[in-house]
Amino acid sequence: MSCFEGQLASWVAPACETTVDTSRTIAALVAEYSTALYRVAFSVTRNAAEAEDAVQETFLRVLRHESRLGEIRDYRVWLVRIVWNIVLDKKRRAKTRPEGEDIADHARALPSSDLAADAAVISSQRHARILALIDRLPARERQALLLSAIEELSTAEIASVLGTTESSIRSRIFRARRELAVLLEKEGIQR
Amino acid sequence: MKHAIEPENDPRTTAVIDATLHHVGSVTPSSGLEGRVLTRLASERVRMEAAPSTGLPFFRRTKLAVRGRLPVQALGLVTGCLLAFVVVAGSVMHSRRLHTNQLVAPPALVLPAHGIGAASAVHPVAPASAPVPASQAARGRSARHTGRARIAPHARKAPGVAVPAPPSNHTSPDSQN
Repeated sequence: MSCFEGQLASWVAPACETTVDTSRTIAALVAEYSTALYRVAFSVTRNAAEAEDAVQETFLRVLRHESRLGEIRDYRVWLVRIVWNIVLDKKRRAKTRPEGEDIADHARALPSSDLAADAAVISSQRHARILALIDRLPARERQALLLSAIEELSTAEIASVLGTTESSIRSRIFRARRELAVLLEKEGIQR
Repeated sequence: MKHAIEPENDPRTTAVIDATLHHVGSVTPSSGLEGRVLTRLASERVRMEAAPSTGLPFFRRTKLAVRGRLPVQALGLVTGCLLAFVVVAGSVMHSRRLHTNQLVAPPALVLPAHGIGAASAVHPVAPASAPVPASQAARGRSARHTGRARIAPHARKAPGVAVPAPPSNHTSPDSQN
């Protein structure tokens, strides 16, 4: 084996090993974060199928940029940012409120043993109306409020996803809740 | 009428908002989401590996096209080096060909038959074989008159001015011309 071939083999072998490693890493990311990403996507799309499409698109982008996996410090924030951009792009392209939003998607999210069927439907309808009110909030406040609903995300991670500071996120959430409360008062939904 | 409790401080309102947010944040995907994602990723990986690489055959054969980045970078580097070599070599060869085959001569200087400069070419004059003496009139006044200035005897003079008598062998300047 010549010197050049030996050098070439030393280049190729780590590349093949890296491919196997990245496949395992991506599989682990899917197992750990797919549910959280689905929730993030669902908070914007309000549609189960679209949320799942967004999750799949997120991991496809990860696969296409798998060579950068070693550079990522916080996988959760990175993935949430990807899925967040994907769903916002889809929503921007549609330029409409989610068309596929239906009661069944909301009812599916509820634990089946907690409520009776009719109570579940009523609750889902109320949630849908409140989510419609959330959509009327300013974009900054709405995004911060929706991401704060995801239990897996801390305030610092929300700030990192939205590219701002924690204090800004807290104030946005506060303003969003206050404005939403005013809207609820006007609509009389809580009664 | 003002509310006794602000809306944002109303516990019922807060509870409704919290319930809705909890509902959004606790939604669960349909079962098998991870499996579907992994299946999609596997098919995408197969498609990516089956797609023709943009790299050189050398890099495809040596399986360095795993990422699809190295061949493109190497191709760019090799192309740049080749272009630089062609430009430099072409420039050197071109300059050498000029020096060896096409010696550039300066424009020929056509001298006139008589004289050297441009004025001689316009007004041809036979070159003088010996210095030509200037005529008396062409000489300067200081060269024509030698000695002191002379005053004519009948010239009017200021009172008290004595004029010496001219020498006897001296001829009048006027009679010279």
